[in-house]
Amino acid sequence: MRHSTADPHFLLRRLHSLLGLLPVGAFLIFHLWENSQSRFGAAHYNGEVVAFLQGMNYLPILEIVIIALPLLFHAGYGLVITTQMRAELTRYRYVRNWLYWLQRASGIGILVFLLLHVGMTRIEGIWRVSVREDLFGHMQHLLSQPWMFGLYLTGLLLSVFHLANGLSTMGIVWGLTTSADAQRRFGFVCAGFGLLLAAIGLHGMIGFLP
Amino acid sequence: MPANRTSIRFKIRRQDAPGSPPYWQEFAIPYAPDHNVISALMVVQNNPVTTDGQRVAPVVWDRNCMEEVCGSCAMLINGVPRPSCSALIDSLTQPIVLEPLPKFPVVRDLLVDRSRIDEGLRKVRAWIEIDGAWDTHEGAPRISPSEWSANYLYSRCMSCGCCLSACPQFGPHSDFIGPAALAQVRLMNAHPTGRYDQADRLHAIMGDGGVSDCGNAQNCVRVCPKSIPLTTAIGELGRQTTVQAVKDLFGG
Ligand code: HEM
Ligand code: SF4
Ligand code: SF4
Ligand code: FES
Repeated sequence: MRHSTADPHFLLRRLHSLLGLLPVGAFLIFHLWENSQSRFGAAHYNGEVVAFLQGMNYLPILEIVIIALPLLFHAGYGLVITTQMRAELTRYRYVRNWLYWLQRASGIGILVFLLLHVGMTRIEGIWRVSVREDLFGHMQHLLSQPWMFGLYLTGLLLSVFHLANGLSTMGIVWGLTTSADAQRRFGFVCAGFGLLLAAIGLHGMIGFLP
Repeated sequence: MPANRTSIRFKIRRQDAPGSPPYWQEFAIPYAPDHNVISALMVVQNNPVTTDGQRVAPVVWDRNCMEEVCGSCAMLINGVPRPSCSALIDSLTQPIVLEPLPKFPVVRDLLVDRSRIDEGLRKVRAWIEIDGAWDTHEGAPRISPSEWSANYLYSRCMSCGCCLSACPQFGPHSDFIGPAALAQVRLMNAHPTGRYDQADRLHAIMGDGGVSDCGNAQNCVRVCPKSIPLTTAIGELGRQTTVQAVKDLFGG
């Protein structure tokens, strides 16, 4: 008899699923909320919001253990899972089939966006003090370029979609939603949650604009 | 009702042997009402001449019950996987395009080797152990009418393979057993005697190719000709495997 703890397949898949929500999804929610404070201006954003985070003890350890490693595992294993997809979108035009495809496509999109985004904020901030000290100004400079605004908007929408749709499939994976009705209802709840998150994120982006 | 009432036209993807290159041929037979794809193919078989007048080997296909219960006749009809005995000609646009059921190895023409379905059922122990080293009976098993009617839905599976063809996670590239076998785990685990082997079945679907390989595209439930609630089964197995994993990890 094969035991689920002897065969890592199941536990790895569930770990991937769990990490997508906790801590990665939770961080996304926090991150969008944090940046929605941009509306209160540079002084508040730099002096209160960013300063509080930058002043946290053990920050690099927290960033690596709570954000980077779970995200890297989720992304890496997500890419492995994506290789199993053979979607036929025109033959089967059902909404869920498109969402299935989009979940994987958005995952790849997020990966590309995150490399750029983390590179031009957190990583660049390591050696450019001006970025670290005036993150508001840096973001304002970036987002004032229309193509960069478009890039961030795309990254935002892909991430929010991926989290909201991931939440709805998690309901099936973990066995919360079983009946078709329950899956549909929870799907709407997740869509509402996604729209709310997208609104918070967009609000934050607009808050940086001059 | 399609406009063309004088003939029934087919465009059929043919293949002479496993691994040989496929090719297309067209056939036409005089129109008659109430044909289904199989009965019309039988007429083609009587006189296998293509529309360009060439006499060819008769088209090979599979069928048995002719009433959508055996599952052997599934194929791709106008791009959709479905049983051909219940595909009524009068409801199809012409020329009717027939292709072998995708994802399964072609034996010849429209005949495919669907033994992978049986392998999946074997792998998940989709049966009830009625005899063992000891008597497992506790009198006649009783279940409530509502449980019975929920279980009944899954018992209608005829292993046609339509759900597997439509599943984007299933195919020669992956070892995913697919939704049909998963639904049978749901059914057998609910049986009063079958419950004894629930943990074994769950362990079988918690390995490679098991329930975690489902990506929730839900095509399966859309194409199943028996309207089997496959995605409900997958959700219920999600719940059962969650509980099983807690038991495996923490005991109980
Ligand atoms: C960085 C690149 C990423 C890739 C390549 C990726 C890939 C994937 C894939 C392929 C799935 C589907 C898994 C399945 O259905 O079995 C998935 C699910 C999920 N992802 Fe991601 N993802 C990425 C980033 C993220 C991020 C940033 C978040 C958080 C906002 C996230 C949250 C989720 C959630 C909650 C699920 C649902 C898990 C489930 O259905 O069990 N992912 N991801
Ligand atoms: S679940 Fe439906 S589509 Fe799949 S094999 Fe059974 S009857 Fe066919
Ligand atoms: S829900 Fe799962 S089993 Fe059904 S078609 Fe989608 S991936 Fe395949
Ligand atoms: S011949 Fe049995 S299902 Fe079609």
